[in-house]
Amino acid sequence: MALAAQTPQKILPYPYSQADLPNGLRLVTVPADYPSIVAAFIVVSTGSRNEVEPGHTGFAHLFEHLMFKGTEKFPQAKYDETIKRIGAASNAFTTSDFTCYHTTFSKEDLATVLAMEADRFQNLKYSEADFKTETLAVLGEYNKNSSSPFSKLNEVLADTAFDRHPYKHTTMGFLKDIEDMPNQYDYSLKFFDRYYRPEYTTILVVGDVKAGPTRELVERYWGAWKRGSYQPEIPAEPPQDAPRTGHVDWPSETLPLVTIAFKAPAYSDDATDTAALDALAYLAFSENADLYQKLVLREQKVDLLEGSSPSRVDPSLFEITARVKKAADIDYVRGQILETVKAFQEKPVDASRLDAVRKHLRYAVALEMDNSETIARILAEYVALRRTPETMNKLYAQYARLTPEDVRQAARKYLSEKGRTIVTLTGPEGAK
Amino acid sequence: MRLLLPWLLLVSSAPAQIRLLARPSPSPLVTFRIVFTTGSAVEPRAKAGLAYLTAMMLAGGGTRDMTYQQIVDAMFPMAASVSAQVDKEMCTFAGATHVDNLKEYYKLLRAMLLDPGWREDDFQRVRDDAINAIKVGLRSNDEELGKEVLYQNLFEGTPYGHYSGGTVGSLEKLTLDDVKQFYRTQYSQSHLILGIAGGYPGGFVESMKKDFRKLPAGAGFRPRMVPPPFIDATRVAIVEKNTRSVAFSIGFPIGVTRASPDYAALLLAASYLGQHRMSGGVLYDRMREKRGLNYGDYAYIEYFPYGMFLMEPPPNLARHFQIFQLWIRPVEPPAAMFALRLALHELDRFIKDGIPQDGFERTRDFLGKYVNVLTRTKGAELGYLIDSTYYGTANYVPALKASLARLTRDDVNRVIQRYLRVDRLAIVAVSKNGEELKRQLASGDPSPMTYNSPKPAEIAEEDKVVEKRPLHLRPEDIKVAPADQVFQ
Repeated sequence: MALAAQTPQKILPYPYSQADLPNGLRLVTVPADYPSIVAAFIVVSTGSRNEVEPGHTGFAHLFEHLMFKGTEKFPQAKYDETIKRIGAASNAFTTSDFTCYHTTFSKEDLATVLAMEADRFQNLKYSEADFKTETLAVLGEYNKNSSSPFSKLNEVLADTAFDRHPYKHTTMGFLKDIEDMPNQYDYSLKFFDRYYRPEYTTILVVGDVKAGPTRELVERYWGAWKRGSYQPEIPAEPPQDAPRTGHVDWPSETLPLVTIAFKAPAYSDDATDTAALDALAYLAFSENADLYQKLVLREQKVDLLEGSSPSRVDPSLFEITARVKKAADIDYVRGQILETVKAFQEKPVDASRLDAVRKHLRYAVALEMDNSETIARILAEYVALRRTPETMNKLYAQYARLTPEDVRQAARKYLSEKGRTIVTLTGPEGAK
Repeated sequence: MRLLLPWLLLVSSAPAQIRLLARPSPSPLVTFRIVFTTGSAVEPRAKAGLAYLTAMMLAGGGTRDMTYQQIVDAMFPMAASVSAQVDKEMCTFAGATHVDNLKEYYKLLRAMLLDPGWREDDFQRVRDDAINAIKVGLRSNDEELGKEVLYQNLFEGTPYGHYSGGTVGSLEKLTLDDVKQFYRTQYSQSHLILGIAGGYPGGFVESMKKDFRKLPAGAGFRPRMVPPPFIDATRVAIVEKNTRSVAFSIGFPIGVTRASPDYAALLLAASYLGQHRMSGGVLYDRMREKRGLNYGDYAYIEYFPYGMFLMEPPPNLARHFQIFQLWIRPVEPPAAMFALRLALHELDRFIKDGIPQDGFERTRDFLGKYVNVLTRTKGAELGYLIDSTYYGTANYVPALKASLARLTRDDVNRVIQRYLRVDRLAIVAVSKNGEELKRQLASGDPSPMTYNSPKPAEIAEEDKVVEKRPLHLRPEDIKVAPADQVFQ
């Protein structure tokens, strides 16, 4: 069936099964068309958002590292050896909302992978010396990221826009906290005890698998995992009552960067807000937006322009970023972005342009979902938000219903001057 | 062929027919991978970046009938695009579409590659982007910068001796006429390999082939490549910039490519020493896991750009000459000298001791399965097929599996002895305080390491040896250049 057919079909082309174990662990199995390969993505609903205690930012990400330190049954060397022997690709990543451990492997190794993963989630063990050494690898990661001006821009944006909510720090954490990590062994044990629990965890298995046998394996290896009791009190961000600005003096050669951010609502699949702001980001700031064509293609004053409406668990930022070719044009570009925002607040967009965005979104998913690992990676983002792939179907149903007036209302409601933060970055030659 | 340099001699006839690799499948998607077997190796150094600009003009410029803006508008609802990748010997255009949009997408793709618009405003924008890709892209990425400087230094004076993205100076001088001429002379049927996969209808491939016959037949020759110059001593290039840490790349040319009988054995050796961005490699274990020196340390026998963003190497970077490379991720400045010494110590030990039997077996089993992961997308599957065609070898995945199955530990130890070395290296460091690093490197002073936790006796003992490891560097072997002069 053609993807852009009038009657919207579910965006997910595969049926999935969802099962909850008595301990709170959830299993989502998605049999996909791609033979032989299986992708297991284990999503822990703990990210830098959960780092509520001062001095302890960056711990969700630190755990992404510590989880590879091994157990009594599978010490690190044996874990690595097993992963290598089965030819798996295994890694992990952390976001503000979740931590994801993922392995892609041949279908005959499903039991091996699920058993080994279950073991480390339940029996992780690391010495204080190993802990201290691993914190240095985290500092090494901060260091390798730090040569990009975008890393610094994001740090300053988060710190400027938020006062109380943990979105104030990036996933890496504040540098001073990373430098103090070697002294925080005991806190790390507490962090693991709180968050590495079945009620925080969803196992997503995608590819050449069947739901029944997968569930049996998960029950066998993960069934004895004990439910926890910790619930973080994540401070709500107070409403912003005036526009804010920040600036970064970058020590090396760079083109100036301008980010304009607005406080935006939490992810939602049962109201139009998220869908409307996503559509707005495309309509106003993507490659086929008027502003892009003006600033990037015709005037050639900007070489990079993008808008993003992040889907996060808590209210976060709608961001527009431009890289400006000449420092003298920073004010002009900022002005053009703000005028564009105003225009979208005043006049509903043509229905045909909204239709093009809808088509783009559906075809983009179809093009991306061309292998089991990518399907799992996309679904992991949704599972982190609502613990079910169904939320993706619901969001795309929202896109299908969206009207030009919905987009205008979202722009008026959220892209307000009061909730705005502008951060600029310039190099030694491009002072503001 | 005015652009060809005198050393690029006619050595063999290329096939007169367009080479086409088709992989039909019931997928709702159609994937294109179109490779011209030409690249930056045929451009003169003074015109560095010409192959790159030409490809970017095709993928990021208008056609005769449509402006680039109109192309972007037409592609947007399809969520489609055409991407370009340029290397020494290959220019690759890749794209995919849902079969719903195949007709419309292919019409755009065909016009972009066969009927370019050559507008001056597109050229200005594409050239600006290329200059900024060096000034603020490459120079803001210490690790990638170091790797590209390493390649440039190792191949100096040969067709590989300049960065495929060009230099700021050469890009500023290039004109639209240069680009048009490169297209006319290099984008020929004899250089073309068409790849297509997925659910395209019957007859589609034939009509596509017919369309591409519009290109000139081609001169029917391939350039003879010039091997890298002999290295008589280890030399260090320090790229100085204001940065938090020190990134190292270390390497030397090896006479091994996928077409070599020793490829599988050497790939296994490099994988054991440091499989790209995976734990368990020797370097990763000794440098990061045991000592916390940095985020990771790996070994390579093929070009792998932008490895910090990618888990698997992009296909269609086939080269006649490859290097062996160690990638030492950024190290805190006080530990930089020790990290460099430790990397060399581990390489030295690997050469002396060879690969242990269990490590050999484990790595062989790993690679035999991991190779499936490399081709899990249709684009990658086509890319590897195209590379095999270019190298004149059997299909990569089954051929590598067969070679691995035949390998013995002795084979691997033999290639380690034959190809690897710990002297006559090129070393690149991206660092602040370049002169101070130079002084330390030339002094031969010990660089003792301190840790934030107690280390086992084995590590402490080894450190005593490592901290004093002679580097045999004379001050004249160490050059310091500011980052803003690199690729300038």
